[in-house]
Amino acid sequence: MARIKLDNITKEFGDGENSIVAVDDVSLEIHDGEFVVFVGPSGSGKSTLMRTVAGLEDQTDGDVVIGNTIVNELSPSDRNIAMVFQNYALYPNMTAEQNMSFGLKMSTDLTDDEIEQRVTEAAQMMGIEELLDNSPGDMSGGQQQRVALGRAIVRNPNVFLLDEPLSNLDAKLRTEMRTEINRLQNDLDVTTLYVTHDQTEAMTMGDRLVVLNQGQLQQVGTPLECFYRPANQFVAGFLGSPSMNFFTGHVEGGTFRTDGIDFDLTERIQSSLGDRNEVTLGIRPEDIELHEEPNSAHGFEAVVDVVEPMGSISYVYLRPEKQESEKTFVVETEGQRATTVGDHMYVEFPPESVHLFDIDSGETIHQRRLNEDAEEALRDRMEKNLSA
Amino acid sequence: MATADSEETLKHPERRFSKDTRNRLTAIGRHAVLLVWAVVVLFPLYWLVSMSLKPAREAIALPPKWLFVPIFSNYAELAQNGEFVYAFFNTVFMVSVSVIVVLLIGVPAAYVLSRYDIPRQRDVLVWILSSRMLPPIAVVIPFFVIFRKLNLFDTRIAMMFMYITINISLVVWVMKAFFDGIPETLEEAARVDGASRFQSFLRVILPSAKPGIFSVAIISFIFAWIELLFGLVLTNQTATTVSMQVYQFIGVKQIEWGMLAAASTAVIVPVLVFLIAVNKYLAAGLSFGVVIKE
Repeated sequence: MARIKLDNITKEFGDGENSIVAVDDVSLEIHDGEFVVFVGPSGSGKSTLMRTVAGLEDQTDGDVVIGNTIVNELSPSDRNIAMVFQNYALYPNMTAEQNMSFGLKMSTDLTDDEIEQRVTEAAQMMGIEELLDNSPGDMSGGQQQRVALGRAIVRNPNVFLLDEPLSNLDAKLRTEMRTEINRLQNDLDVTTLYVTHDQTEAMTMGDRLVVLNQGQLQQVGTPLECFYRPANQFVAGFLGSPSMNFFTGHVEGGTFRTDGIDFDLTERIQSSLGDRNEVTLGIRPEDIELHEEPNSAHGFEAVVDVVEPMGSISYVYLRPEKQESEKTFVVETEGQRATTVGDHMYVEFPPESVHLFDIDSGETIHQRRLNEDAEEALRDRMEKNLSA
Repeated sequence: MATADSEETLKHPERRFSKDTRNRLTAIGRHAVLLVWAVVVLFPLYWLVSMSLKPAREAIALPPKWLFVPIFSNYAELAQNGEFVYAFFNTVFMVSVSVIVVLLIGVPAAYVLSRYDIPRQRDVLVWILSSRMLPPIAVVIPFFVIFRKLNLFDTRIAMMFMYITINISLVVWVMKAFFDGIPETLEEAARVDGASRFQSFLRVILPSAKPGIFSVAIISFIFAWIELLFGLVLTNQTATTVSMQVYQFIGVKQIEWGMLAAASTAVIVPVLVFLIAVNKYLAAGLSFGVVIKE
């Protein structure tokens, strides 16, 4: 087990004018035994960053520290890591058992008996004892995934690196394996880096998220921190499904005005504005209230454009009545609530749920309010992180 | 909505044949086409073999004699023909060695071209292919002159060099495409597991590429085995090839049809033996590059 420290890591591909910066000056510390998820859209540099830790990619600048060693010059095998790849990368010419023992044979002096024992133990842990004689071609995706995890466990590494390991599985299996990986990480308590583009996976799996976009670090924090206290508009929009609704507009005499919507800002919100006149307002679909009748002075009228029933909830896409463009925003409602396309609704944005973002930098200038318990829990957690 | 009432209004579209019958007819049609194709492909082979089993007069009789008592005298005579037997085994030796050497050079070269960033990689590939761009007749005379100067005329070394030249571009191009189809994560996994780059090539990539290797091996074998022109110009006795010996039965005044057919049949045998030996790898190998995509 080991901590990982990334010091000003930059990775450029190509030379001179044609070079592309995949990772841009990222610094980060991952504690011993921690489960950290790198999350971001494709091209955000999350896989490149993980591959730099693995030693499969050489950083252009910066240091990678595993434990107390600067590993920049060490080959992947000397870093004592184990990696699970998106396509599992099982050796097609070997059986599951040979796949699992390959690493031990290549990098340790263990005897055949010791290797066999370790493979059997790992196989038991993953529930794949009966697959040991099968070759990868004879296994289903889920089974291959288990063997790939087994191959990583058997090495008893300092660090686990998992590169989008669930994205080739079907939805049901993905949920199962998600739980399984969580359990495994808890049991083994090995420092784990996990790369995914799937925000649900990121939210449910990690102790901490590292949100990346275009090679730049956006935010590091617990899933709930990143969700409720997004550092900027990108993080706010990336986490949560469907995404947060954003409205860009200007502030006039304490009222936020945008195409078809007027929203009175509370004093607390106004105090965050500074000297800004233009801001982006963000509110999550589950925080918006829909009423049949006008409920308060804050509300505005909107027409239902599309309804997506998901079962216990529905996503209702609405267009403000007075809006000139066709742009819609989405609201999460109860699944049993009868809503039809063309219905007229009164929409209300609860002021405590509203975020504001700087229009140029995208930085968050106003965070939503949380209930006291949540506020306290988040504060504790943030303090703990700072002191660590 | 399907209710009991609406079921009455459902219609069965009228078809002349039931679904089962249609499926059966399709199967029969498909087999008929395959049968015709098989006849077209196999008939010349049948003709050759039957000709080799007929006495000289019947061999080219018209109309052909479909029913005949097979005789093996052509084969017996062929086995007594020292020049043919020598050329046969000589060619087996030269072609086998050349295939092994061309694989030893071409497969690693293809791997490097597939995996490493090489400056002017495209040009290198075209340069390798250029060895096949000129018709053999255009290069055979220069080679003749060169080999004479180097005292390599009519030597096995010279012929093996020619066979390697013929096949190297095939091996490199096909194997490069094959390696391109093998995910790079396999080597990365092996490197994380503690293997060196060479070990991961040897223990993971090479075994995964077996179908491709056997495919290019058999094709290279065939190309070298049936080669005639270089044999005719660059050899005399020592390095003589089996195809030249087959050609001997076409005389100036007459063609020894029975012997020609028997020799031609004998020439097919090594190719068949090789094909059967590596058959299980070929199916996958001939669909280049799709072996282990996830």
